[in-house]
Amino acid sequence: MIHYAHFTLDNGLEVYVHEDHSTPMAAVNILYNVGSRDEEENRTGFAHLFEHLMFGGSQNIPAYDEPLQKVGGENNAFTSPDITNYYITLPSVNLETAFWLESDRMMSLSFDPKVLEVQQKVVVEEFKQRYLNQPYGDVWLKLRPLAYEVHPYRWATIGKEISHIENATLDDVRHFFYKYYLPNNAILVVAGDVTVPQIKALAEKWFGPIAPGEKYVRNLPQEPRQTTARFAEIEAKVPLNAIYKAYHTSGRFADDFYTVDLMTDVLGRGKSARLYQKLLKERPLFANINAYTTSSIDPGLLVVQGNLNEGVTLEEADAAIEEVLQELVEIQLPAQELAKVKNQAESTLAFSEIELLNRAMNLAFAANAGNPELVNQEAEKIQAIRVEDIQNKAKELLRKENCSTLYYRAATV
Amino acid sequence: MKTFIETKTVRNIALSKSEHPSSMQLDRTLAPDFRTIETVQFPTPQSVVLDNGQPLYVINVGEQPVVRLEVLFEAGTWHEQVEGASFFTVKMLSEGTQNHTSAQISGHFDQIGAFLELSHTPDRANVMVYGLTKHLETILEMVSEMLHEATFPEKEFNDIRNITLQNLRVNLEKSAYVATNTFKERLFGSAHPYGRVQKEERITALLTSDLENFYHQRIKARPFRVFLSGQVGEAEIALVNRFLGQHSVSEPLLPTITPEIVSQTESYWLDKEDAVQSSVRVGRRLFKRQHPDFYRMVVANEVFGGYFGSRLMKNIREEKGFTYGISASVVPMRQEGYWVVGTDVKKEFAQATLDEIQREIGIMQNEFVPAEELEVVKNYLAGEFAGSLNTPFEIADRVRLMVLEGLDVDFYSNYIQRLRVVTAEDIQSMAQQYWKWEELQRVIVG
Repeated sequence: MIHYAHFTLDNGLEVYVHEDHSTPMAAVNILYNVGSRDEEENRTGFAHLFEHLMFGGSQNIPAYDEPLQKVGGENNAFTSPDITNYYITLPSVNLETAFWLESDRMMSLSFDPKVLEVQQKVVVEEFKQRYLNQPYGDVWLKLRPLAYEVHPYRWATIGKEISHIENATLDDVRHFFYKYYLPNNAILVVAGDVTVPQIKALAEKWFGPIAPGEKYVRNLPQEPRQTTARFAEIEAKVPLNAIYKAYHTSGRFADDFYTVDLMTDVLGRGKSARLYQKLLKERPLFANINAYTTSSIDPGLLVVQGNLNEGVTLEEADAAIEEVLQELVEIQLPAQELAKVKNQAESTLAFSEIELLNRAMNLAFAANAGNPELVNQEAEKIQAIRVEDIQNKAKELLRKENCSTLYYRAATV
Repeated sequence: MKTFIETKTVRNIALSKSEHPSSMQLDRTLAPDFRTIETVQFPTPQSVVLDNGQPLYVINVGEQPVVRLEVLFEAGTWHEQVEGASFFTVKMLSEGTQNHTSAQISGHFDQIGAFLELSHTPDRANVMVYGLTKHLETILEMVSEMLHEATFPEKEFNDIRNITLQNLRVNLEKSAYVATNTFKERLFGSAHPYGRVQKEERITALLTSDLENFYHQRIKARPFRVFLSGQVGEAEIALVNRFLGQHSVSEPLLPTITPEIVSQTESYWLDKEDAVQSSVRVGRRLFKRQHPDFYRMVVANEVFGGYFGSRLMKNIREEKGFTYGISASVVPMRQEGYWVVGTDVKKEFAQATLDEIQREIGIMQNEFVPAEELEVVKNYLAGEFAGSLNTPFEIADRVRLMVLEGLDVDFYSNYIQRLRVVTAEDIQSMAQQYWKWEELQRVIVG
């Protein structure tokens, strides 16, 4: 249970406060409602590049990191297809430093051309380190455009290609900033050893003077229903063949999300999960295999992926996965198995609330989805799921026509 | 739990000068006042002795109804006679007991939403289970069985071995993995527990009898330590005693041999034609936490490459854009330690990166760290430390270190004070003494 207070500044900034006086620390999380799904098709990777620029100095503060480090604070940020999220943890006695830093960069960046030039290089190296110089690192660069034909989820957050990052200009940066980095397009969560009146005063003082902008109205092309099975194959220098099967499913905050989530747990969570027991233990087809959902805000993907043992063909592995999935469609889940995945979910929830910063982020994500209360409804929603819900959902989703299959073949040397 | 932090107010010079609080205009160029962290109180764990004489450390902290049970054995690479035995013995504990199959054991933990983690380091072996406190008894039932009645079935061993071999093949394609392994091998020698890396032929040659021998030698009815953290009290302590405190325990028959260290110092360059980046590792053997230079080295390292604002990050990432990240780390272990600078850089800049690391070391050796920079680093380290004691598990990890490495009881409660007294002169002498370029091992892969 995450308790919180909420207020909105005149400029539209939504503020949430979660008090926890058992810690001497505070967490400050600012979520900007912009991700790679908001990018233009020929300028991908920009939301993430922009995240890097947010650390390159703001209008009145030449460097972001150092003043924070000086007061004992740590920070980081991440960009996803849906959002860009910045977070700080610091001793609560120095909370005001976080307000000073975050409000200044929300007000205006320095727009220093040198910062852009260097961060373009850094992001290109990040692209290589994480996506190119790793075995299977490029799989999502290939799988996304197979599964999504229309929705911007068809490109990865890092970008479609390196040239998009290299071609970004300072004008693009300015335009992006004034379109998305607005108080009325952000959510501020402050958690930890803080009080509501204190946060009200600090928020008014530092964020109050920032002018709102034209409200961003998201209008993205939605992915049409997939009607035929899709298939692609790539070959690269990797040690083992791998297979990826992606099924369209609902988004993170849809009513049926937890049903799908429990279904993937039945398939892929822990060593007792069906895919592991049947395709790794009972039949030695895979060296590893698991299932998960992408948990995106717009409709996401349920993914089954695994690395094959030597001597096993991709076709054989594919058929074996489909057999396991088909069993979920045809035979009702035993009650004990449902109880198992519910217990796993209950446990995960308890563990996810240990860290202060996690609580702050979860609250921000729920608020961004339009209802902060969602953060406290998870347990109840999970408990309400019945075996027939899982079977119905399996029937609906686990169809060949709803699937994109990618064979990742190990090149024979 | 409330970690107690003592702080001291610092007025920024700019603020102290301005004596006009009436000014309504917010001056955003001025940083707010702040306080520095002077001490962090480290909670004292409760020590209990189980009926069979084995120690239990209890860290009762936190608001969530969760528990972490950790049973720790002197059963790492240091203690094995056959290479790879400790890794596989630990992994195999959940693969079969006299009464339960592999599938039943994983089902047992999964059914109550508990997570089992079997891990292994050169220094030790751990059986760790995370779960809801209400399920501790169910957790302990199976843990006790694994520790006393493991059977090491052949079929399950072949599965685990296959998974390990396949993972190894994937890892060997990663330049960062190869570079780190090569670096450690060259610091300690491939026969030494700290330099030993997984080798396909060793794994293939292992037999289940090697694992059974190691199990009897080092785990079953051998000394152990238990760490129980989370929302736990007397009832949970009693449960641990009931399941783990009733079997008698005796010392292992074979002594632990202290192996010889064989270091190589010339640099190693493995060119991979198709790589788009090079993984660079530069460093040397260093010391344990008890060494008198430990704190001086921690601060010197932090300035040099330990945090986001470090000199290496500023130079190699933020000025030159050669890399996504570069860092330097002091890595103390139980018997030895090492120091390493690591980065993955754009391939054509590998040599330039080495040159810059050398140049930055030269600056550390020849010039004092400015007072302002040193203050930032110390405050950052203090804040990071205070922020890293917020969960029962983070505290338990440190209690484990104190116990295993025999650290002074005030090691963590005086941690910040000891960092605070490090001077610019100390840092310079660390760089001069430990970072002599010709003595540093250099490994480049890619």
